[in-house]
Amino acid sequence: MTQRISKYQRFKMMNPVIQFFKFIYLSIKIMVVVAGGHGGTRNLN
Amino acid sequence: MSKIVILGAGISGHVAATHLRRKLSKQHEVVVVSPNSNYQWVPSNIWVGIGKMKSEKIYFPLAPLYKKKGIQFKQAKAISFHPEGDKTEQTPYVLSEYVVGNQKGQQEKITYDYLINATGPKLNFGATEGLIPGKNKAYSVCTYSHANHAWGGLNKVIQQLKAGKKAKILIGTGHAKSTCQGAAFEYILNVEQELRKHKVRDKAEVTWISNEYQLGDFGMDGMLMRYGSLTMKSHEMIEMIFEDRGIKWILGAGVHKVEDGVAHYENLEGEHKSETYDFAMLIPSFSGHGFKAYDKNENDITEKLFKGFMIVDADYTAKPYEEWSVRDWPETYQNPNYKNIFAPGIAFAPPHSISKPRKSKNGTDITPAPPRTGMPSGITAKLVADNIIDSIKGGKKSLHHKGSMGNMGAACIASAGFGLTKGSGVSITTFPIVPDYEKYPETQGRQLGKTFGEIGLAGHWLKLALHYAFIYKAKMKPFWWLIPE
Ligand SMILES: Cc1cc2nc3c(=O)[nH]c(=O)nc-3n(C[C@H](O)[C@H](O)[C@H](O)COP(=O)(O)OP(=O)(O)OC[C@H]3O[C@@H](n4cnc5c(N)ncnc54)[C@H](O)[C@@H]3O)c2cc1C
Repeated sequence: MTQRISKYQRFKMMNPVIQFFKFIYLSIKIMVVVAGGHGGTRNLN
Repeated sequence: MSKIVILGAGISGHVAATHLRRKLSKQHEVVVVSPNSNYQWVPSNIWVGIGKMKSEKIYFPLAPLYKKKGIQFKQAKAISFHPEGDKTEQTPYVLSEYVVGNQKGQQEKITYDYLINATGPKLNFGATEGLIPGKNKAYSVCTYSHANHAWGGLNKVIQQLKAGKKAKILIGTGHAKSTCQGAAFEYILNVEQELRKHKVRDKAEVTWISNEYQLGDFGMDGMLMRYGSLTMKSHEMIEMIFEDRGIKWILGAGVHKVEDGVAHYENLEGEHKSETYDFAMLIPSFSGHGFKAYDKNENDITEKLFKGFMIVDADYTAKPYEEWSVRDWPETYQNPNYKNIFAPGIAFAPPHSISKPRKSKNGTDITPAPPRTGMPSGITAKLVADNIIDSIKGGKKSLHHKGSMGNMGAACIASAGFGLTKGSGVSITTFPIVPDYEKYPETQGRQLGKTFGEIGLAGHWLKLALHYAFIYKAKMKPFWWLIPE
């Protein structure tokens, strides 16, 4: 095992308060990517 | 009055059926034909496979829901396609065989005006000698019953570790052309975390085995992504996670034979090697179901409908990797020969892989097949349903709704460990799924802001939230249609 993720990074990854805001941010960002529309490629290019 | 027949009640079949029923008046028939009596939310199988979720939580019976909503349900499996009917039946039909009850074994010609083939993949365990779920200490998590079985095998190993034994755990792909690396990736991280929770991690060697050329390929040729303020390649991110978790890896491996506790594989160097294990979870290759098709004179026309999976509006011309284009990928999932047949989700034949094809020095193809995860399966099913709805309501064929995987985003929320405060997840989004090197030449075919990765507890909550949201949606509870695919 090599410690590739520092203690501070890990703290941020597991802190429920920080992660609560990250959860809101991720939910919105994912909605933008996934529900943000799709279409064809043949006419566009 | 139109009759729409949907084969399969997985993510894509169920999405198509529910949208058709919501938007079409009751004078039109919506018929679902599927051999499984239940709907299952496949992504949560990962948690069934580590004993953290009961399989009953991820499935529910379809018949009562369909009855309530006015969708006909036939618990049967499609056998052959007759898109012109035959000498006695003028209307196109699918020959199907009932699998339960008094009608078990009986065959029926199920006629249709529109046909949606949403039969997903055949889990082709037979393509790898000895790879049988639950045999040779190798398991699968592809269905809830497989996942239950896998938890039984894993739990046994955990008990042995607790008794002081050492063990080797091998997780990844079980064939040179398997796909669904994402599911195996989730499973290895969850298993690793469970070993730590049971305080036996130091006694187990955990190894990833995969047909990917690099870690983080995921059958999508890897990706350049945002990670915090950095821009990194997916293989760097996954390498960081595996090193941090003490997971070893074997790449470019085409597993071709499994014996009791031994996986034999060939690597890209052309070497034949084997890896021993006490517990393995290996994803099989996916194939078409081997359906046959016949014209009205009963001549075999299978090649007009199938190329393994179903032929749709893709460009299937064989060409070298350098000439592949995002425009090769289908937009409407309509069969070019029979325009009232569609194949969303995993059921359509992709034009080629997404990852660069690679052969071993002996000429064996070792390339991940292209993944079609839950979100694109749902999105393609909805657009197929919308085109059928427009065609029926407008009285003329409409293909207005389009959705190429080269112009569609996907989110892979990979659980990396279960637990409300101790869990973790790796959230990766990609836009587009199939890289568009013309539009995004500088960023490996992807739009950077929309292609990003995150690691942390929020990812676990997100995956859990998606589990409840999608089961709510699948059960057609109030305002279900507001939840996007
Ligand atoms: C373990 C695992 C984890 C995953 N995790 C994720 C994830 O986190 N996120 C994500 O986006 N995707 C995930 N996926 C992928 C996702 O589950 C698939 O993309 C999705 O299930 C594909 O939907 P589908 O409807 O095309 O096929 P399926 O879900 O396979 O459905 C096919 C349907 O066809 C039926 N059928 C089969 N044969 C016949 C026949 N002869 N006649 C009629 N019906 C038939 C089957 O019974 C089934 O109802 C995961 C997959 C696995 C295996």
